[in-house]
Amino acid sequence: MRLLEYESKEILKEKGIPTPFGRVISAIEKAPPFPVPCVLKAQVPAGARQKAGGVVIALNNEEFQYKTAQMLSGTVRGYRVNKILVEERIDVLEEFYMGIIYDTVAKSPVAIFSPQGGIDIEKLAQERPESVHKRHFSVRHGLLEYEAREIISLAGVGGKRLVALSNILALLASIFLENDATVAEINPVAQTRKGTVMALDCRLEIDDDALYRHTDIQRKSRDPDRTEGGREKSSFEEKAAEIDGLDQRGVAGRLIEFDGNLGLIIGGGGASLTAFDAVKRYGGRPANYCEIGGNPSVLKTKELTKHILSKPGVEKIAVIMNVVSNTRVDLMARGVIKGILETGRRPSETVAVFRVPGAWEKEGFKILSRYGVEYCDRTVSIDEAARRAVEKLGGSHPNRK
Amino acid sequence: MGEFIRVNIDPERCLGAKECGKCIQVCPVNIFAPRGADCPHALDENEDECTLCDLCLAECETNAITIHKLYEE
Repeated sequence: MRLLEYESKEILKEKGIPTPFGRVISAIEKAPPFPVPCVLKAQVPAGARQKAGGVVIALNNEEFQYKTAQMLSGTVRGYRVNKILVEERIDVLEEFYMGIIYDTVAKSPVAIFSPQGGIDIEKLAQERPESVHKRHFSVRHGLLEYEAREIISLAGVGGKRLVALSNILALLASIFLENDATVAEINPVAQTRKGTVMALDCRLEIDDDALYRHTDIQRKSRDPDRTEGGREKSSFEEKAAEIDGLDQRGVAGRLIEFDGNLGLIIGGGGASLTAFDAVKRYGGRPANYCEIGGNPSVLKTKELTKHILSKPGVEKIAVIMNVVSNTRVDLMARGVIKGILETGRRPSETVAVFRVPGAWEKEGFKILSRYGVEYCDRTVSIDEAARRAVEKLGGSHPNRK
Repeated sequence: MGEFIRVNIDPERCLGAKECGKCIQVCPVNIFAPRGADCPHALDENEDECTLCDLCLAECETNAITIHKLYEE
């Protein structure tokens, strides 16, 4: 879950990290809470807000009123703007980047610092890796201040700035650990002309699986504007969520509606995203995205299949997962085939591809064979399965290979 | 009736739900339902949920239960 900028900054302030003076408004006001010029920042859980018109400067009270009204009536990166953070404009001398993320390969948090702030750090790491400095640290001890100082010192920063920046970086690491964050980033952290060092922007993302440990943050996650991107669930998606709630076994129903002709019953963590992207890459038009897994009941898979096939324009379905150990292939096959039969269609003509290898696959393949459904084992990649599905619906896009 | 699985209980062999009823207790997907003190019956709507765990077969002292995989017949 991504916190809004002002929520993240509240956490920074509690830790003693300086931030610009600011106030959150949710309605048009005649004048800003402090003398102009000021900065208006749309509070939406998305990055690159400046490029999308979500960060603007108001030079006088008229501009403040006009730009506030404009921002509150619009959207930024697909999110409706309900709150604006109005901040004093800071006279910046120099900008830096600092962030803490979790390195899933090293299985350790890593602190990142760059003397070039305010830019896309991933792009910078690719183009000029020598200007991005990293150091892994222990989750037990956190990032000690001398370790933070070493990283920043290696980046060529010295003097009073070194002390101030390393103090902030060590505090940011403790915020990361204490809040079970997956990302804690200050970009930029700025040195002002007055000589102070402060966080001009902040991004905090909390691990969804740890939200139960942070009830105050968990409450914020129920804000529909934050989670739904300003878009309400369609009735098709609502119905899928109802199907998922039919019983407690597994997941079969987290669905997002699209307008294509290929229904997708996909799952397996990143495998569903991989399958969806592969279908798109080969020129296919998905009717939906969904997540299925954790060994759902035959009933839930059946109902989900029926539901997807009930969508106007859906010609075939593709059933694609990674190699599953916690979902049974035979139970998946039963649910899919039963759902198809209950819609009055033929499984052999309706399933474009069935690529779910794993537990009980021999039994599953027997079921699929019985109904004439073509299936793939693990020797066929998710990408290839997606290609075959698209081909069954009239062939790949001519520009795709 | 299930599309893939059929569970039969032989009433001649079954001791009845009152005297035994172990199949009802052990089935993880609730295929068996009591019918008073008599022989339990398999719920049509749940038969396809059978995970083939064979717990009911192991518990049934009189071998009254048979499970058919219809897709193999």
